[in-house]
Amino acid sequence: MAEEARAIAPSLPSPGDRGRGAHVPSPALRGRVWVGADWPPTLQRLVWVIAGLTLAVVPHVAHIKIWILVLASAAAGLRVAMEVKQWKMLARWLRSLLAFVALLAVLLDYRTLNGVDAGTALLIVMAGMKLLETKTVRDLTVIVFLSYFALFAAFLYNQSLLRLPYMIVTAWLLTVTLMRIHQTTTSMPVREAIGITARMFAQSLPLAVLLFLLFPRLPGQFWSVVPARGAATTGLSDEMSPGDVSELSVSSALAFRAKFLGLLPPARERYWRGPVLHDFDGRTWRQPRSPFMPQAVTVAGATYEYDLMLEPHQRRWIFALDVPTTWPKRLATRTADLQLLSGFDRPISTLTSFHLESATTYTVSEPLPNLMRLVDTRLPRDRNARSIALAREMRERAGSDEAFIAAVLAKFRDEEYFYTLEPPRLQLDSIDDFLFNTRRGFCEHFASAFTVLARAAGIPSRVVTGYQGGELNPLSGYLLIRQSDAHAWSEVWLGERGWVRIDPTAAVAPERIEKGIEAALADSGESLPGSFLRQSALLSQLRLTWDAANTFWNNQVVAFGEAQQRWLLEQLNIGDADWEQLGIGLVLTLVAFFALLSAYLTWRFRPRAKDPLAQIYEQMCRKLARHGMPRAPHEGPTDYVTRVLQTKPELAQQLVEARKIYVALRYGPRSWGPQLNRSELSRLKFIVNQLKV
Amino acid sequence: MLQRTFAALRHKTRTWARKRHGIDSDPLTLSGRRIYIVPSALGIAFALMLFAMFLGAMNYANNLALGLTFMLGALALTAMHYCHRNLAGVQIRSAACEPVFAGQTARFRIALENDAKVARYELVIANEYGIAQPARIESGARVVLDLEVPAPQRGSLQLDSFEITTRHPFGLFRAWAYLNMDVRCVVYPKPGPRGLPPPPLETDTGGAQDTRRGDEDFAGLRAFHAGDSPRRIAWKVYAREQGLQVKVYAGTAVTSHSFDWEGLPGLGTEARLSQLCRWIEDAYAAGRAFGLRLPGVEIAPNVGPGHRQRCLTALALFDEQAANG
Repeated sequence: MAEEARAIAPSLPSPGDRGRGAHVPSPALRGRVWVGADWPPTLQRLVWVIAGLTLAVVPHVAHIKIWILVLASAAAGLRVAMEVKQWKMLARWLRSLLAFVALLAVLLDYRTLNGVDAGTALLIVMAGMKLLETKTVRDLTVIVFLSYFALFAAFLYNQSLLRLPYMIVTAWLLTVTLMRIHQTTTSMPVREAIGITARMFAQSLPLAVLLFLLFPRLPGQFWSVVPARGAATTGLSDEMSPGDVSELSVSSALAFRAKFLGLLPPARERYWRGPVLHDFDGRTWRQPRSPFMPQAVTVAGATYEYDLMLEPHQRRWIFALDVPTTWPKRLATRTADLQLLSGFDRPISTLTSFHLESATTYTVSEPLPNLMRLVDTRLPRDRNARSIALAREMRERAGSDEAFIAAVLAKFRDEEYFYTLEPPRLQLDSIDDFLFNTRRGFCEHFASAFTVLARAAGIPSRVVTGYQGGELNPLSGYLLIRQSDAHAWSEVWLGERGWVRIDPTAAVAPERIEKGIEAALADSGESLPGSFLRQSALLSQLRLTWDAANTFWNNQVVAFGEAQQRWLLEQLNIGDADWEQLGIGLVLTLVAFFALLSAYLTWRFRPRAKDPLAQIYEQMCRKLARHGMPRAPHEGPTDYVTRVLQTKPELAQQLVEARKIYVALRYGPRSWGPQLNRSELSRLKFIVNQLKV
Repeated sequence: MLQRTFAALRHKTRTWARKRHGIDSDPLTLSGRRIYIVPSALGIAFALMLFAMFLGAMNYANNLALGLTFMLGALALTAMHYCHRNLAGVQIRSAACEPVFAGQTARFRIALENDAKVARYELVIANEYGIAQPARIESGARVVLDLEVPAPQRGSLQLDSFEITTRHPFGLFRAWAYLNMDVRCVVYPKPGPRGLPPPPLETDTGGAQDTRRGDEDFAGLRAFHAGDSPRRIAWKVYAREQGLQVKVYAGTAVTSHSFDWEGLPGLGTEARLSQLCRWIEDAYAAGRAFGLRLPGVEIAPNVGPGHRQRCLTALALFDEQAANG
């Protein structure tokens, strides 16, 4: 193994020792100009490796701690400086100390070394530290390996179609770098390395695809996962303060898709249930600490059957339509709040889909448990005094709960209340401030204010967060629900009727419910980022096409699993394939791949075609050799034929002519040219073919 | 300890390979069947990395990460084929090997030829004493590489088995073949110390000597050729109208050493050969003629590099059993 640790330095022959064994570049390799062509080869290699590492780390910039990037870049810069200025390498103990300190820093900052975040951070930091001690080809190779791993980690954060070209190009360039650092005789031109690696990638692709399709997928995880933090930046949270949902509305990121098998629910029924909030401290709504007893639900009317495909959000929430009635019991549970949760150990950390059934008309037929009644009528005692007084007064005037609710909604609709994306900041008594001063709010302000008023009037009520609406993509038939569709509404308990949904936003801005958030904001002259895209017809078409491509990508590639694998095998008439058959399939694939690749390479490395004259001459020599008169390596045509004629004088006529033509063609004047040679050549061919020994 | 085990193991496989393949022809086209290939240390590290990637991708059920893992795995397998093919079909032939004196290092020259349509990269030949510089061979080209073998004794030194190796393209695999070509290098005896004076010059007279040299004795006449010195024209003969003749003189006063095995009594075989070698070298350096007499070998006095080589080779190959025993 000693030879493997070849130093980078003596790798390129100096111009002086071209003489023996050293390779002299062919004319094609000389005179190529590209940036850094005149740099010393050690520096070139280093810069290529660092560039590859950088490309692999770039996708992590969004979610990695800044000090990690700074540390790694500093290490890279220092190493390049050492190379340029010919500084000495850092002492071994110093490098070890630095690496240890970096490890400790990651451990302290992330509190773990397990999981994607800490793992990626550690990977990047250690690649930087490794750069500091990089001396040999082997060290450089290790950095390239770490770069591959960083690229791999980037896929754990984001599997979008948009990123794919970048990732492919980076993987390719890393491979080019890997090949070039292993050329020690002379530095391989970039174009040549790119060509060879491209060919190798193309040849590997079929095997990779077949492995991907045939490799048995395991349901579930081997070990529990610390979720990636980067992916959880947008999405609902488990509490709600004024301003939370409107912040979310700025993001046009996709939250989930839904494909309905039968009828599509009308726009005003598209309420996707998320966390239900009960505890209010005067400003923030929270989920209760202990769960309630579930209540039975009676479904009246039709149900909707659909597939829900959730983008990863690192929570357990499954945003089912209103009230889920059928769901995979193994994977999910329905809470007392009628929210669907995935299992404890499986947060939605990858694109996940569920087959569900939901109802939009239903009754909670059991009476309200006392604990729930207690919690859902509780208000902080010393807050929002004016609102509580207002509610009590309105309740007395209304006479019934239903009339009270109608009065509150009428107040929102008829008085000067505005629906806006940029509501002013609220005072400590947020409900008082909103109802009597600012009068401008987003859905969470209205839902929050309504729920507080209802509670003050003695009606059990709660805030539901989730999404409302969705855009239909006619190309794929999917309903797209974005973060900007995030919404909050109320549910009130009305005795016999059970829990009833009241959406105060609908009273202020009915367009929000019917047509979506953009229509609702259009009046106020506000707009969401990207709304321009949604208004132009052509751009809209492009956008929807892109989304259809994305949907295909997500369904067929990103979410490729057991089910798709089984479907694929059924298409190949292999129904009910088990592991054993998949294993045999994999082995056969491998064997076929080896055979094809071997055949191709044999063809590619075939000997160069000799010139026709040499071929005929060799044929003649072979013929004579078969009869005991092989040509000695030192013999020219004249000596050879003379020797042969000593034992076989009967061949004199043919051989002498053949010799004359061969010598004339091979050694004769150049001016003959190929055209003139042709007849002579065919004559020689004829003689040799007629030659009978 | 570990290194010694490795060395022993390597020696064993080499012996086994020689038994399996026998002595190779020269030139030799390396067939694919005799090329061995194993992952290098880097290749094993790469495999471990792929395994970690695989576990991660399966655990997170991340298909793109899994795709990348499979892609890199397939790439490594493709690289394995490239590595093997890079070596298969190389033509190896021995080139001239300059004789050396015992105690020096012999350089065996090995030519590698590539008659394939594509270039071959990073070919390395090595034996247990060293590694030649990695070579890249363009399509249809040839490079000549040196292999060094120490030559401790006079005689005919055989290039023991050597290896041709490549790690192209990524250094993940190492493909190699053991070669056992019958390539020999003549090793002259080490010149002895300058202590013993060489036998005195002998002046030989008579026709037995070199006819082309010397100008003491008149040896006859021959016909004039253009370019002959006018001073040698036999004018008297011309005056007798017998044509233009030139006087020819021959071989007197040719002095030479005669280095004789028997002239060194009381010394062992090797010591005698060393002494003879020293005399030959000195005489050659001084430009004097010398002859050599060994039991069973007699080389007439002469001068020039060819003569020196003949004499030294005779010394080198004298009683080879004795040299190797």
